[in-house]
Amino acid sequence: MNTSKHRPYRVLVTKIGLDGHDRGSRIVAAYLRDAGMEVIYTPPWQEIQSLVRLATDEDVDVIGISSLATDHLLVPILLEAMRAANLGNVPVVVGGIVPDEDEQALLLAGVRRIFHPGSAREDIVDTIAALAAKMRDEPGAESI
Amino acid sequence: MSSRPAVKSSGGADLAAYVRGGNRAAIAKALSAVETGGEKSAALLRALHGFTGRARVVGITGAPGVGKSTLVGALIAELRKRNQSVGVIAVDPSSPISGGAILGDRVRMTMHADDDSVFIRSLASRGGTGGLSLATSRAVDVLDAAGFDNVIIETVGAGQSEIDVADVADVTVVVCAPGLGDDVQAMKAGLLEVADVLVVNKADDPLAAVTVKQLESMLVLRRRADREVPVLKTAAREAEGISGLADALDSAIKGLDKKTRVERSSARVQRLLAAMAGGIVTRRLKTARRKELDRLLSQVAAGELDLESAAVELLKSDVWRDD
Amino acid sequence: MSREPAQLPLPGFDQARAEWRRAYSEQLPVESRRFNRSGIEVAPLYTPEHFSDERYMDALGFPGQGPMTRGIYPSMHRGRAWSQRQLIGLGVPEDYNRRLKRILASGGNAVSLIPCNSVYRGLDADQVDPLLLGTCGTVVNTVDDMDACFSGVAIDELSTAMNDPLPFTLLALLLAVAKRRGISWTKVTGTSNQSDYISHFVANHMFFRIALPGSRRILVDHVEFANYRVPGWNPVSVVGQHMQQAGATPAEAMAFTLCTAIQYAEDCIARGMEADVFLPRFTFFFDISISFFEEIAKFRAGRRIWGRLVRDRFGAKNPRAARFKFHAQTSGVDLTRQQPLNNIARVTAQAMAGIFGGLQSLHTDAYDEVLSVPTERAARIAVNTQNILHEEAHLGEVIDPLGGSYYLESLTDEMEALIESLIEKIDQAGGMYRAVETGLVQSMIGDSAMRFQSKVDSQEQTVVGVNKYRAEDDTEARASLKPPQPERIDAQLETLAQYRNSRDNTAVQRALDDLAKASESKKENVYAAVVDATVAGATHGEVVATLRGQMGDGEPLIVP
Repeated sequence: MNTSKHRPYRVLVTKIGLDGHDRGSRIVAAYLRDAGMEVIYTPPWQEIQSLVRLATDEDVDVIGISSLATDHLLVPILLEAMRAANLGNVPVVVGGIVPDEDEQALLLAGVRRIFHPGSAREDIVDTIAALAAKMRDEPGAESI
Repeated sequence: MSSRPAVKSSGGADLAAYVRGGNRAAIAKALSAVETGGEKSAALLRALHGFTGRARVVGITGAPGVGKSTLVGALIAELRKRNQSVGVIAVDPSSPISGGAILGDRVRMTMHADDDSVFIRSLASRGGTGGLSLATSRAVDVLDAAGFDNVIIETVGAGQSEIDVADVADVTVVVCAPGLGDDVQAMKAGLLEVADVLVVNKADDPLAAVTVKQLESMLVLRRRADREVPVLKTAAREAEGISGLADALDSAIKGLDKKTRVERSSARVQRLLAAMAGGIVTRRLKTARRKELDRLLSQVAAGELDLESAAVELLKSDVWRDD
Repeated sequence: MSREPAQLPLPGFDQARAEWRRAYSEQLPVESRRFNRSGIEVAPLYTPEHFSDERYMDALGFPGQGPMTRGIYPSMHRGRAWSQRQLIGLGVPEDYNRRLKRILASGGNAVSLIPCNSVYRGLDADQVDPLLLGTCGTVVNTVDDMDACFSGVAIDELSTAMNDPLPFTLLALLLAVAKRRGISWTKVTGTSNQSDYISHFVANHMFFRIALPGSRRILVDHVEFANYRVPGWNPVSVVGQHMQQAGATPAEAMAFTLCTAIQYAEDCIARGMEADVFLPRFTFFFDISISFFEEIAKFRAGRRIWGRLVRDRFGAKNPRAARFKFHAQTSGVDLTRQQPLNNIARVTAQAMAGIFGGLQSLHTDAYDEVLSVPTERAARIAVNTQNILHEEAHLGEVIDPLGGSYYLESLTDEMEALIESLIEKIDQAGGMYRAVETGLVQSMIGDSAMRFQSKVDSQEQTVVGVNKYRAEDDTEARASLKPPQPERIDAQLETLAQYRNSRDNTAVQRALDDLAKASESKKENVYAAVVDATVAGATHGEVVATLRGQMGDGEPLIVP
């Protein structure tokens, strides 16, 4: 999937809001590393502006947000900040506890996929790889 | 300038121009472009070539857990106070099996999130010493051309990489933590030799003074004719001793007289060239003409030919030339 | 401790065993070895060759004495049932008060308080996005808030588990309320449920507020303060739950918890306190996973080790020091979002393991606890699960009923040996504080988490409804997160703003300055200054900010 033919996909795995549990995000980071991707892994409580800066400077292909409690409610704010910084085409996925009734709203706001607890490893890795591949192929992506 | 301009370009020349202008998105894209080498990367680097050589390149290395990232964060703050801009390349090891990596260093420097004069990029070591030096040196060139006064390379302190950083840096700082006891004594010989500055972090630890003494006595044994290697104490978390470190970097750079700079530079290029050539040999072996290669391999396996002779024969032969 | 194979003069034993082995291999010619979560091999059958009664006095003894394996009290649950201590926390103080009164009406007198995530992060309500307020716990920032939480409730007749980490401002606010109501602090009872800063640094980052060295000092200050001023309060609860939930195996969780207790005890002794005085007030808090027998053995082994430890390492003579008192909570990590009603069965199994393991108090998770603060219906089922186990299945009627089981005794021995070897490893790393400073513990936990996940991924470990026995999801049972209505949050923010304006701000500032000075000094009791500050009217966020300013923000060491 992530062969040595191309530069490894770069995925940001991070947490916003107040929650600090990182068992899930650590495991996903390991999954992605074992699939040959480079994971920029942050501690919890990241500020939205810091993440926008990070996503630019690190030229990330995909952003993965790990969320518990109601932190997912901040994701639309992140998406808006990314659009304002011309990063609107960077795909964002969310993993963790997201109530059913919020799922649609997040997808409408631009989140590409939500991974609930119990999501299969292959599903997570394949989805992120596919999003990264698409990100790299997009015409706007390579030009300045 | 943190957003990506919507302008499309036709290739390396435009990207180079944006990089030299300090455009963050362009710098980020350029760093990606030069990561794996190849034609596009070479073109970009050629376009940037005349604009490199201005930045001070500082390598910071040491064993895991000594507090390098926190130290770099504190150093960035100090350099900013001195009105200097800073680019950082934070290197973490790639998995030798999957080729992937977890890059977690930059967040210990997040206090600088809003500062436009600070640029932090995480880099994976990508399988091997030679590879690290080359990729890092290309990344340094990009940040150099982008106009940063300082480029700091922070490397993981495992394997050979901490010695390799000296290939790329003007000044190499080796960081230790107190209480490592035997580890200080057992510090790799090469590491002590490449150090231009030695730092004992976590200075508030009661064992810090002892560690300083140990290092000083080790230095005496390996006294270098061309320079004094200062041993400094820092407490990165409390931002103590950082000003002294910045001063030591200034001295070390100044102390690099022209002759030393030229010697070092050519020694470095030589090593990088050897690394590059070695990489090419490794790659080409994979597509080598099997019959002759197999002959060599079976001779070595049978003990008829020693490895060194086999390697010399390999280099002289046609085995690894393109079909 | 050496174990010799038992001498078995039982006539016919060897022959019968050989015959059984033969017949077993016929039925199962090919089988894979089985291991529990801690890595201990599980055999198909256990007999007197694994445990013989000769060892009864050494290995089991009687409850309340000797090796303590069978329980810390002579009568255990037969005398006094384990406490049902259900966690409560949601919305604003009035919401908490309402649910509290309902629980008290149904006969409980042991309560807890779970604050909002914003409080965990050391912030007041006006410092975070309102979207994040009151969804997982109660917003409590001021003495008025705390007063409202316990409005119409006699705090001197309750035992409160204050689920609030260092610097324990919520206890300080409770003491301020007691003072307001003319209640002596000697009548305030309960536990600082989350006093274990080491476990937060390692495995519950949200709770970690002040940098390690400052935390280390404040904890000891807190113990001293409680000893003298709030003698009915247990200032130390060592928490194994966080590490097990982060992925530590049961043996690791017990070992790391014991090592943490050792570290805290050493720190208290270094301050000049006496083991016989402070050790009896150490309590523990564990996760109960669904690895049924392993959990029972874990608790029994823990009791045995603790009894030896307090005597050998600390020279404690007070028999109460040897009592390994613990609260336990069924593990939310084993619960699933898929087919959530299955969680009722899971919680039942977990609760049984805890009861057989000899816990002192129990929280049973509601079946929807994975998703949100439990609904009333789910919370009721969780409480009734305990009532059924106690009063219908009579699980508390016999003390340590599984004691003497060949399997359980063998497993207890093996868990004990494994736990001791892990304690040895931490000892060699310089003790628990040093081991977590360097990230050793975090790596071990991360590795265990990954190993368990691999078993789930490969389906070697079944998770019903997730990697096996999947079904169309039962959406009817999946409760939704009901955040507090925005009006209530607005009202709370209004109240906070008014509070800030109407108090004596000069006195507050003075008290906060004193707090800053106390934390700079080497000798003053910082916790006493925290209490003074809240009594003077400082908010939770103000106290934490002052301490962060002086002692450094808590940055957990993340070991990816």
